[in-house]
Amino acid sequence: MSSPRRRYWIIKGIKSTLFYLLVITIALLIILPVFFIVSLSFLTTHEAYSYPLPLLPGLTSRFILTHGERGYLLSVQDRVTGEYETVLDTDDLEKMSVYMEDRLGTPVSIPELEEQIARLSTEDPVYFSKSTDLLHNYKLFFQITRDAVPALVRSLQIAALTIIISLSVGGVAGYAFARYLFFGKDMMKFSVLFVRMFPAIAIAIPMVIILARMGFYDRPLGLALVYSIGNIALTTWITASIFMGIPESLEEAAQVFGANRLQAFIKTTLPLALPGLAAAAMFAFIGAWNETVAALILTQFNPTFSVVVYQSLVGATGQVNLAAAGGMVMAIPAVIFTFIIRRYVQQMWGGVTI
Amino acid sequence: MATLTFDHVTKRFGKVVAVNDFSLKVEEGEFLVLLGPSGCGKTTAMRMVAGLEDVTEGSIFIDEEEVTFLPPRKRNVSMIFQNYAVWPHMTVYENIAYPLRLKKVPKEEMNGIVHNVARMVKIENLLKRLPAQLSGGQQQRVAVARALAVEPKIFLMDEPLSNLDAKLRGSMRTELKAIHAKTGATSVFVTHDQSEAMSMADRIVVMKDGKVIQVGTPDDVYDKSATVFVADFIGTPPTNFINVEKKISNGVCQLINPHFELDLAEGCDEYVRAYTKYDLILGVRPENINVVDENHALFSAECRVAEPQGSHQIIAVELDDSFLKVVAPAQPKIYPGEIVHLNFKQETLRFFDPETELSIDHPGDDQT
Repeated sequence: MSSPRRRYWIIKGIKSTLFYLLVITIALLIILPVFFIVSLSFLTTHEAYSYPLPLLPGLTSRFILTHGERGYLLSVQDRVTGEYETVLDTDDLEKMSVYMEDRLGTPVSIPELEEQIARLSTEDPVYFSKSTDLLHNYKLFFQITRDAVPALVRSLQIAALTIIISLSVGGVAGYAFARYLFFGKDMMKFSVLFVRMFPAIAIAIPMVIILARMGFYDRPLGLALVYSIGNIALTTWITASIFMGIPESLEEAAQVFGANRLQAFIKTTLPLALPGLAAAAMFAFIGAWNETVAALILTQFNPTFSVVVYQSLVGATGQVNLAAAGGMVMAIPAVIFTFIIRRYVQQMWGGVTI
Repeated sequence: MATLTFDHVTKRFGKVVAVNDFSLKVEEGEFLVLLGPSGCGKTTAMRMVAGLEDVTEGSIFIDEEEVTFLPPRKRNVSMIFQNYAVWPHMTVYENIAYPLRLKKVPKEEMNGIVHNVARMVKIENLLKRLPAQLSGGQQQRVAVARALAVEPKIFLMDEPLSNLDAKLRGSMRTELKAIHAKTGATSVFVTHDQSEAMSMADRIVVMKDGKVIQVGTPDDVYDKSATVFVADFIGTPPTNFINVEKKISNGVCQLINPHFELDLAEGCDEYVRAYTKYDLILGVRPENINVVDENHALFSAECRVAEPQGSHQIIAVELDDSFLKVVAPAQPKIYPGEIVHLNFKQETLRFFDPETELSIDHPGDDQT
């Protein structure tokens, strides 16, 4: 192989290696936090606060039971280091059972404990293992938020209303931006985005006053209106670019061939714009579903689901693993919604093909 | 079949006048071509017929009925768009059938019509496909079929061939013309391609800056161009223009240029004699310049560029500061650097007024 050719291939090899390294790094940056929160949501409280933190949740927990000063000494194995750490010294079996379930994520009944203690007479210390309840955090989360079903319904209601409002207003605005020339178009297009530059908290406080006067304070429609303010801007931009990508002549052809304006729009432009509209709906849904700060201020007796989660998980009782589980549960509806419309959104990434 | 009449139609976009006082009658079954450079208002004029643009002033009639204020769907015209405007989410069948559905044509009949027109444009085997699975030429055929299916009074075509590659354009041109001959539908065809216009039109309307410059048969606009613009716009290579001075000596009308003194033959000089000014623009088409031997030469010049075309060759000689293009027979071959001897076919010469740029045998604007 001649030397310039070899050099060419070596340089090319180095370049593509660097490129893949970059791609992998970026992918890891996106995947790692997600992995971390998923993993954390399955960890026991004891594990979540131990150091080093286990990367993956364990399926079984190993214990040592021995005689202690006050009664029985319970130690639990750290899965990372493999060493046993003494966590409890008590003669109250009920207390020990509760502790094992709450802190160690392993439900062990009192008769089971008595059985192990009985073994102490023949062997000391007693080693035993028990399968960990992986869904422990989730069960606890649903216990805490059991009364939050109305809040869940309310959140879905608000998200749906936000989609309807921002899609109908933003979609019409987007169509106008894409199809018509009018005075101050560029300025208006920019000023629509301007709304998004204000942080939600800055809008929320004056909104309390405005919504209270309108009679919408602490009602789903009020929150949906507030969320729509920001979302209309996004929807306008998304739909405008989608409508711009659809040739006007398709609609004109329909008109020439016998359709009125509305028929022409519904029959030609609308089906082609569906991916964009779906993407806009997705953004609106996720935005409305996850929003907490404004909801915290704009609701009082009728909080949204995100507010309920926030209130029950944050504060003195807050546990990171429980918060992670709550976060996962919160994400599920958004993930489901995204999956339902993913076909359309993917179409948008591929562009509208004419 | 119908007639189409423009009656002093004007279209303004804000301050821009797109179509200026356009009056014309398209006869029944005529194939009319609107020709002009981009921005000349030809497409706007057509879109006003379709109802896709408002008419600022004047009125448009189809047969005796005024359609100026009718919405597009009530005008009974069909249109082929430049980008085909085939609906991408409908199959070919649906594309052709949808206009018929809108017109509430009974299902059986509709089915028959769709297959009929599909056969006519040779896309019968593609009816179940989506437009994305078709080539540009096939999509164009769908657009033609769709336009044929509704049996319109007026057939509008907005640069329908400009998105096709050169070879396909040529064959589609022939096919469109054949379809027109078969259906006999009154057609208006917009194009900026003069050779397309020449080959397809019954009559050509040459437009510039929103104004009609000349209306006539392809031969008229080619041989009797009314203005410098028309003579320049029509024909490839375009007409050569040479500034000359008129002089009458011994009863012979002469055209003087630093390179030549041309004695106009009897019969070719009548308009020049009647012309009252002395400066003229001489317009001569490249094929009307003959390469001759030295004895018959009006003037000689050095060949700068030679473009062989197979059936003929185009050579450019330098005259003053511009090139004079000559269409010469393919043989004998002429090479750059060679001195060529040239003469004009006198009976084909055109004369223009340098100030108005109008042909001197076309005084005023009464070309129609």
